[in-house]
Formats: sequence, structure tokens, C-alpha cells
Amino acid sequence: MAAITGVISRPTSYAGVWSWITTVDHKRIAVLYGATALVFLMIAGVEAGVIRMQLSSADNDLIGAGRFNQMFTMHATVMIFMVIMPLSVSFFNFVIPLAIGARDVAFPRLNALSYWIFLFGAILMHMAFLVDQVPDAGWFSYANLTEKPFSVNRGLDYWSISLLVLGSSSVAGALNFVVTIINMRAPGMSMMRMPVFVWMTLITSLLLVLAFPVITVGLIELTMDRNFGTHFFIPAEGGDPILWQHLFWVFGHPEVYILILPAMGIVSEVLPTFSGKPLFGYPFIVFSGIVIGIMGWAVWSHHMFTVGLGPVANSVFTITTMLIGVPTGIKIFNWIGTMWKGAVEFTSPMLFALGFVSLFIIGGLSGVSHAVSPSDFQQQDTYYIVAHLHYVLFGGSIFGAFAGIYYWYPKLTGRMLSETLGKLNFWLMFIGMNLTFFPMHFLGLNGMPRRIYTYSAEFGWENMNQLASLGYIVLFLSFVVFFVNIWQTRNARRVSHDPWDAPGLEWSIASPPPAYNFAEIPQVEGLDQYWIDKQKARDAGTPLTEPEALVDPDSIHMPSPSYWPIFVAVGVALIGGGLLSHYAISFVGGAITMMGVIGWGNEPATAPSDHH
Amino acid sequence: MAHAVEPEYTTTGLNHRKLLMWVFLGSDCLFFGALIATYMVYRGQSLTGPYPIDIINVPVTTISTFVLLMSSFAMVQALAATHADNKRAIVGWLVATAVLGSIFIGFQIVEFNTFKNEGLTLGGNLFGATFFTLTGFHGAHVTLGIIWLVAMAIVANKGRVGPNSALDIELLGLYWHFVDIVWIVIFTLLYLIAGFDAGPAAVPGG
Amino acid sequence: MGPPPLWRKGSLPMQSTSNSNRPSGRRSILKNRTVLFGLIAALFLFATGCSKEGMSTWEAFGPVAQKQLDLFNVLLWVMVATFFLVEGVLLYAVIRYRKRPGQPRPPQIHGNTTLEVVLTIIPTILVLALGIWSVFALFEIDKPPDDGPEPMHVNVTAHQWWFEFEYPDAGNGKRIITANDLKIPVDRPITLSLFSDDVIHSFWVPKLAGKLDMVPTHENKMWFQADSDKIDDDLPVTLFGQCAELCGLAHALMRFRVTVMEQTDFDSWAAAYGPPPTNTNKAKQGAQIFAANCTLCHTIDGPDDPALSASRLTGFLTGGDITPVPAPNLTDLRTRNTLAAGIVDLNETTLRQWLHNPEDVKPGNYMSERAVLYQNGSADLTDEEIDALIGYLLDLR
Repeated sequence: MAAITGVISRPTSYAGVWSWITTVDHKRIAVLYGATALVFLMIAGVEAGVIRMQLSSADNDLIGAGRFNQMFTMHATVMIFMVIMPLSVSFFNFVIPLAIGARDVAFPRLNALSYWIFLFGAILMHMAFLVDQVPDAGWFSYANLTEKPFSVNRGLDYWSISLLVLGSSSVAGALNFVVTIINMRAPGMSMMRMPVFVWMTLITSLLLVLAFPVITVGLIELTMDRNFGTHFFIPAEGGDPILWQHLFWVFGHPEVYILILPAMGIVSEVLPTFSGKPLFGYPFIVFSGIVIGIMGWAVWSHHMFTVGLGPVANSVFTITTMLIGVPTGIKIFNWIGTMWKGAVEFTSPMLFALGFVSLFIIGGLSGVSHAVSPSDFQQQDTYYIVAHLHYVLFGGSIFGAFAGIYYWYPKLTGRMLSETLGKLNFWLMFIGMNLTFFPMHFLGLNGMPRRIYTYSAEFGWENMNQLASLGYIVLFLSFVVFFVNIWQTRNARRVSHDPWDAPGLEWSIASPPPAYNFAEIPQVEGLDQYWIDKQKARDAGTPLTEPEALVDPDSIHMPSPSYWPIFVAVGVALIGGGLLSHYAISFVGGAITMMGVIGWGNEPATAPSDHH
Repeated sequence: MAHAVEPEYTTTGLNHRKLLMWVFLGSDCLFFGALIATYMVYRGQSLTGPYPIDIINVPVTTISTFVLLMSSFAMVQALAATHADNKRAIVGWLVATAVLGSIFIGFQIVEFNTFKNEGLTLGGNLFGATFFTLTGFHGAHVTLGIIWLVAMAIVANKGRVGPNSALDIELLGLYWHFVDIVWIVIFTLLYLIAGFDAGPAAVPGG
Repeated sequence: MGPPPLWRKGSLPMQSTSNSNRPSGRRSILKNRTVLFGLIAALFLFATGCSKEGMSTWEAFGPVAQKQLDLFNVLLWVMVATFFLVEGVLLYAVIRYRKRPGQPRPPQIHGNTTLEVVLTIIPTILVLALGIWSVFALFEIDKPPDDGPEPMHVNVTAHQWWFEFEYPDAGNGKRIITANDLKIPVDRPITLSLFSDDVIHSFWVPKLAGKLDMVPTHENKMWFQADSDKIDDDLPVTLFGQCAELCGLAHALMRFRVTVMEQTDFDSWAAAYGPPPTNTNKAKQGAQIFAANCTLCHTIDGPDDPALSASRLTGFLTGGDITPVPAPNLTDLRTRNTLAAGIVDLNETTLRQWLHNPEDVKPGNYMSERAVLYQNGSADLTDEEIDALIGYLLDLR
């Protein structure tokens, strides 16, 4: 491998397209993740639009059943795995090293690898459209509908293989953040002095590394059933379709906490900043997050109440699911407590954070009604569930992500998003969201099942459906406003390094941060260290007005760019792609992966030329 | 891979890569856990034979298990040699670990072939599906480990492994011991306990 | 990321809010108006949103659905009360404690342990109380009461995309197999065993009970009962059901109906169950057409023979274009009120549309895909032949 490293020299530039392809800088990787996620947000949003247009009137024939099934499958799969999760990882990438006073993550090249594998996995999934064999069995793809002879085309194989690739990206990234958070905190930052966002990232990452292997096994078994003649979920030789559900939901329930905890972390950063006082009940918020992470493993069968597990099993999961509502409630009370007797400012990030809290209350409450299994027998597989899940995932995760985008944008770019457009964005999104999804509670209780491409007028579902479809249009406009807002910042005026007077360490450095983040690794004495620093300076009569002095970047060792991450990612993608086309391609991919790993192993993290 | 650097500051005092390996192994536990769970759920559920009692050969697999255990011993010796900076011993013990691991894989291959000839296939019944999938993925883990061992032995042979880079050997050792422990679990469950299953009626609770 | 940008000195906001970098918070009035509007809208929705149409869960015609509804009604009030309480406090907090111009830094309160403990204990007690009550309810509705009338048993088998109902004993030991229209006597518990022949489906009649999935290789048991004192209209009354688990292309079109009737009417129906009469020429002609084109998949001379059903299932699962598929038993089609698995009412017109080209009525159905009769799209029959078939099937005179 020395030959290869000799022939192609290690990249050195920090500008241009090649620098983005070989970057190992967590801040750039954050931008890559975020931008990619927003592209997929648009794609999944269009899929939602198709669904809503089809359902806007009874007996509609805009699209047929086959295409409709593809639309809701892809909408959910993309939103979960290619929008919310990468948005979360984008925040992990940008914020975590800054918030803990580190210069980068523990394994910068592994970080880059995670991104490239994610990108290629997402592209692989969408190649299903090119061959018109799109997954269409729902985002949780229950066996044995997913088996042959019921799903004959390769759609489900695209789904399984792409998810396996995406899963490896997620696990690689999560491993990185676990080590980073545990092992790279600034001196003095004990666990109980970590910002809540860092805590939530840690818990989410631990959930990721433990939950993904379970679905990996499920996907492998499904792929083997479909392609290698096994009967893991096929009744013919004694297989049980319910095994798929258990494997899926043992992963799936921790997954929903993976989807929401980062947003809860973001909100826990934004609310104190714009209340002018610290987070209320920090230990309780941290502890409740840990409890949610642990208890989340004990509730999975509430997704299976109607499967016929029997009253004993259903009772157990009813009780555990009811109990897991308590730690979430604690968080909500503490967030309100943060604003209580504070000085609340309605900036855009704050509006989105408040939107999160108010909408998550609704989503959480409907969740409690699902926990009661006898009632769930009526609610399961109806639009009542669709309402719940969108309140927690859209009202929760997306609003939380938007709060984060508006909050940290000035740190990332040195420019602020427009407040006027931000408020317009928020109100359109808030109104649109409620208009679209609140009627769905009624639809579900009025008996409308989910995943039906059409319905008869006689059941009285048309009005609510029209309302929901109208809401989609409002939501669409809100996203237009958002992208306009992003676009117009290229000419917006610069702002200071700390426009919000915020408590986190990341606000103590320049905007955008220099490549090395901190000239001097900070010494931490307590929670909200930057507020402590600023208060001390005020008390001493010399208020801080500038971030710490910049130093010569050449004097700080930073990990150097590398092409091995994208090289290995190409190999992994080819392994997956080959399984979907010609096995020879997989062998080539395997060889590339192997070469890449060896080359990577031989390459020092920092190039000798970057040492001084 | 093996240039001397001063140990970087870490919050716990643990090296980053060691922590990474431990968390990764935790993740891998869930992977094997789900595969083992599949096996246990389907224990006694095969509609047709062959059944474990027709196929499983405990004496032979005991030998291969012993071989794998010995490979872990060799791995421990390799680490000790690294601390002692004894290049020949390092290379020798790494090669020994790889050889013993390969013998284990050899046993697996012969075993699988025999089972196949006796009628146990992936698609034939649930026992075949769950057995081959679980042991197959374990074998894949062992094989990756052997490749890693060989690569490490080559590097060691060039004199680039010593007390300063003991971590690299330690990480490999962690992985190798993990794979060995997983095999102990598999051997106990699939061979010593379920290996005597004789079809649906005979399994307790089956 | 390039050299550090310039920034304005003194631009770090301190105590005052007059700094241009800091957006001010003067939105409270708008929030108030919007909130008011939102509340009105929500109340309006609540008032008009709950319907009692065919698939609604708001109306219970039997004890199982009633118990589930009772539980939900309590939950609903708990949710509504909690919603107003918590959102109210949230709203109050942001309005009352919004930042005023020139306001100094507020007191830096870190928490209140007593409050935390109280706010943990109260919700825990509440959720446990609700949870334990629901566990009791769960066991209560699990089986029909011991002291009631003798239950009648029905075996329900789901197929893509229709429901098969088998009465092992509909009265006097008579075995009946029908499809898509489940007739039941009022005031009598009906125990159901749910099966599936292909993929997972779900059996759901909202006004009688919550749903239960139909899983291949499993027998799932449930029960319900229609109570005459809960049903306002005169019997027979038609209730609506639908498959509630994604099961393929025509999942949206897999529905069924439950006809609730007096026990005496039920007994009459059961006694009269048998093939349609062939005592007119037209009927005879229809019977011949049926025998020539339909009997590969459809049974019309009484309950299906189990061996025949099994062979049709095997054919379906092993594939091929023209093979038998499990298809609805048509023996008592003339007594049903729905066609094509609950998606249309059954009458001459709809049956003619269906027979002419089933794909027009139910896109994705297997009859269009597998029956030789439809290999060219619409049926290879003349209008007169279709008339005869309809006359036979519906016993038209």
C-alpha cells in the first residue's frame, strides 16, 4: 500500500471541491450531512405531497395503489433514515467538539467515512427509482408481505441492502461520538457539567450502537429469505412472520428515541439562552434522558399490541409504556421551569423550541392513549397513529432541528438567518403542521385505516382529509420560506461570535470557528461555563467583547485531510450495489474496502508535513 | 501505524482506540445476541429434519473449540512478547494464533460440508437456516481476525511492533478473545445443550 | 474555513437590548391572537370532528367496543385536561415572563428538588392507575362472560384481498362457509378464530371491537357481541369492517360487513344456505357458464371441502398465471349485501360491472390476473351470458 500512498500524495489543500471530498474537519462534515439531509427532506416532502393530493378526495385516482404504497414507504424511510438522523448527526458533528472544548472528534477519518457511506447508501436506495422497483411494503416492511411470492420485484432488496449500508454509517458515527464524549472533554468538564445536548448525544449514540445490530440481523435474515432460500419469516417451513416484528421493533423503539433525544438536547440549549437563566433541573433532565434510554428497550411490543401476543404480554408492555411517559413529562416540566421567572425572548430559534415543546406535549399525550392497549386495539393502524407520530417526529424532531439551525447558523457561518423570514417560517410551519396533522386524530378515531390509497365518501372522511391536504400546502410554503432564508444569508451582514449571549463554550470562539476550534483548551469549572466566564469578566469590570485571541494555525496539530474515507466508502457502496446487481461488483467492492482499510491503517492521523 | 507519539490526554485515561474497541464489541454482542435469539426461538420448530441429534457431532466440535481456546492462549502470549519486545516471539505467537484460528475454520468448513451431505441446508429447514447463519457469521468474524493477525505478523516481522505499540496488539487481542467467547456461547447452546434435540416433539417446551 | 472574519467591537450584547444584533421580542400580542384562533379552531374541530359514520369508533354496539370506548373516553378527558393545564402553564410562562426592555438578568434559579419529586410522583401515580385499570379491562374483554348465552364460533380466514367466514356449526350442526358478509345473531357472543392464508391482515369492525391481526401460522382469538339495546335502528343492521394491516396492492379495497339480525332470522338464513336454485332455463344456463369458467377457484355448492381449499392455496403460493386461487365461496352470494370484499353494495348493476371487468371495480384483484376468462382484459362472455350468470348467482326471477 506504500506504493499507492506514494503515487497519490496525501491531500493538503483546504479549499476547493477536493478539499471537501477529503475533509476530516468535523465542521465541514456537519455541513455535508446537513446539506444532504435537506436535499432528502425535499424529496420526502414531495412524496408526502403526492400522498396528500391523492387522499384529498374520496375515490381519487391521481395515482394507483402500487405507486401510493411506494410513496408512503419511501416518504417514511427517507424522512427517518435520510433526513432526521443525518440532521441529528450534522448537529452532533458541528456542536459536540465545540461544546466539550475539543479540537475535533476522536476519529476524524472515521467521521468522514460515516458521511460518505451515508451518502452512497442513500443514493443506492434511490436507484430503486431508476429501475422502477421501489420498496412498497411500508417503512417497517412486515414479513411475510416482504417475501416472495408477495413482493417479487427487487424493491425490498434495495430497501434492505441500502438500510444495511446506512446502518453501518450510523454505527460508525455513533461509535465515534461515544468515544469523543467520554474521552475528549476539556479538563474540569465532568459528566454532570456537560451541556444537555452532549448528554443526549451520548445516550443517542449508545442507543444507536446497540439497536442497529438487531435490525441488521433482521435485514440479513430477510435478504436471505428472499435470495438464499431460507425461511426465517416464511410460514412454509415453520418460519414465523412475527419474529420479524420483534427484531424490527426491538430496534425500532430505541430508534424513535434516537430520533427525538437530539432534538430534546437542542431545545435544552436554546431555552436557557433565550430565557436568560440556566436550564431548570439539570440533573433531572439528564437523569430522565438516561432513564428513557434504558426503559426504551422495555416497551417495543406496544407496536405489536394487535398481533395477538396475549393479555399477559400486552399488560406488561402497557405498564412499561405508561411508565416511560413519566421521564418525558419531567423534561417538559423542567423546560417550562427554565422560562419561569426568566426573560423570554422570541427569537426564531426560541420560537421553534417553543413550538417543539407545545407540539411534543400533544404528541406525547396521544402516545399515552396508545399505551393503554385495549384502546390501542381501536387506534392501531389508523390515522390516529399517523397523527401521533407526526406530532412527535415533525412537531418534535423537525422543529427541534430547525431551532438548532437558526440557533447555530451564526456560529457556523458568521451570519444570521433573517429574523423576519424566520418568524414567517415558524408560523407557517406551526400552523401548517397543526392543520395537516390535528385532523388526523379525528380521522383515526372515525375509523380511517392507514396506508390506504383511497377511501369511500360514505365514511365521512373527506372533509378532514381535505383540511390535511390544505395544511400540506401551508407546510410547503414554510419550507420555501426557509430555503429563501438560507439563500439570502449569503449577502447578510456579519454578526459577532456571540450574538445570543449564550452559555455554551462554542460561543466563546470566533464565527465561523477556526479550523482548530480553541486556541487554548478551556478549563471548565461548572455548567454553562461561558456564562461563568462572562459574569466573572463583568464583575471584574472588564467585560468580554472579543473571543479569545487567535493563534497561528500552524502551531496546532490538526488531523490532516485524507482520501481513504471516501475510498473505503466507495468499496462499501459497491459491496451493497453488487448484491443488487452482479456479485462480481461486490467482490471488487470488498477488495477496495480491504485496500482502503490497510492504506488507512498505514496513514498517520496527522501528516508528517503538518507536524511542527 | 507504529510511530512513537506521546500518549494524548484523554478524560478517562483510556486510549481512544481501546474505548472504541470496547464499545464496538458491545455492539457486536447485540449482533450475535439477535442471531442467537433467532436460533433459540426456532429451536424445535423445524417442520422437517435433519434435526440436531442427527447432525451435531459434539466430540469433533469439542476439538475445534479447544483449538480456538488455544489460539486465545497464543494471543495472550503474543501480547506478553510485545511487552517484552521479543520480535521473534511476537511474530511466532501471532502466526500461531492465526494458524490455530485457521485450523478452527478448517474444522468448520469440513463440518459444514459433512452436514450438507447429510441433508442440512440453509433452505431445508429452520435448523439449517439458523445454524448456518449464526455459525457462518461467527466464522466470518474469525476469518477477518485471521487476516488482521497475518497483517500484524507481517508488520511485526519488519520490526515495527514493540512496547510502544502494544496497544495495536492489545486491540487485536480484545477482538480475538471476544470472538472466542462468542464461540463458547455458541458451542454451549447449539452443541452441548440443543445439540441433542430430536425434532419437534422431543424439545422441552417445543 | 478560512481566516477569521472581522467583527464589530462592542457588539457583544450585555444587559441592554438596544443592540442591533439582538432581535427584540414584541410578539406577545400576535401570540395571543393566534392562540385564540387556534383554540377556536380546535374547538370547532372537536365539535364537528367526531362522527358516528360506519367505521367510527365513537359509537359502540357491543360490550367489547364499549369497554374500549369507556377507557378511551376517560383517557381523552385526562389528555384534554393535561393539555390545557400544561400548555396553559407554558403559555402563561412565555407571556408573563417575556423580556421587557431594560430588564436585568433574571435570578439564576437552578432547580427545585421538592418540585421535581412531586412532579415525578404525581404523573407516576396517574399513569400507573390508568395502566392498572387498563390491565383489568384487558383481561375483562379477553373472553366472553361465563354466565352469558352460548357463544357461536366463526373461523375467519384472510386472503389477499377478502375475508372468508366459516361457521363450523351455524345451528343444528350445519357447516357454512361464506365471504365478506358476516351474519351474526344479536345479543349472542361470537367467538372468532382468525387465520391467514398468505400475508398478515387485520380484522376490524370498529363498532363491535378493536382489531386483531390475522397472521399466517397463528390462530388469534377474539370475541364480540352486538347488543340490541345499543343499536337504535331496527334489525337487520349492517356494520362496516376493513382490513387494517397493509397486505399488498388492494389493501385499501379489502373490506367487509357484519349484518346483525335476530336469532330467528339468522336461523332462517342458515337453514336456507345452499346453492342457488336452477329451476329456470336462465338459471340453468347461468349454472353451466359458472361451471365452465368459475369452479376452478369458486365453490358454489355449499361449504368448501378442506382438501380443495388447501390445494387452491398451494397453487396460489407456488405461482403461475393460470392457477387456482383461494376465492370467495359464492353459495349464498344472493343473501349478501356487498361485493368484492365490502367495497360496493351488491346489486345487479355492480355485479354486472364486476363480472364484465373486475379490474375496473377492484384494481389489483387476482381474478383479473389469474382467471382464464379475463386473460384478454374484460370477460370473454356475451352480455346475454353475463345476464344468465347474474340471474343464477342472485337468484333473480
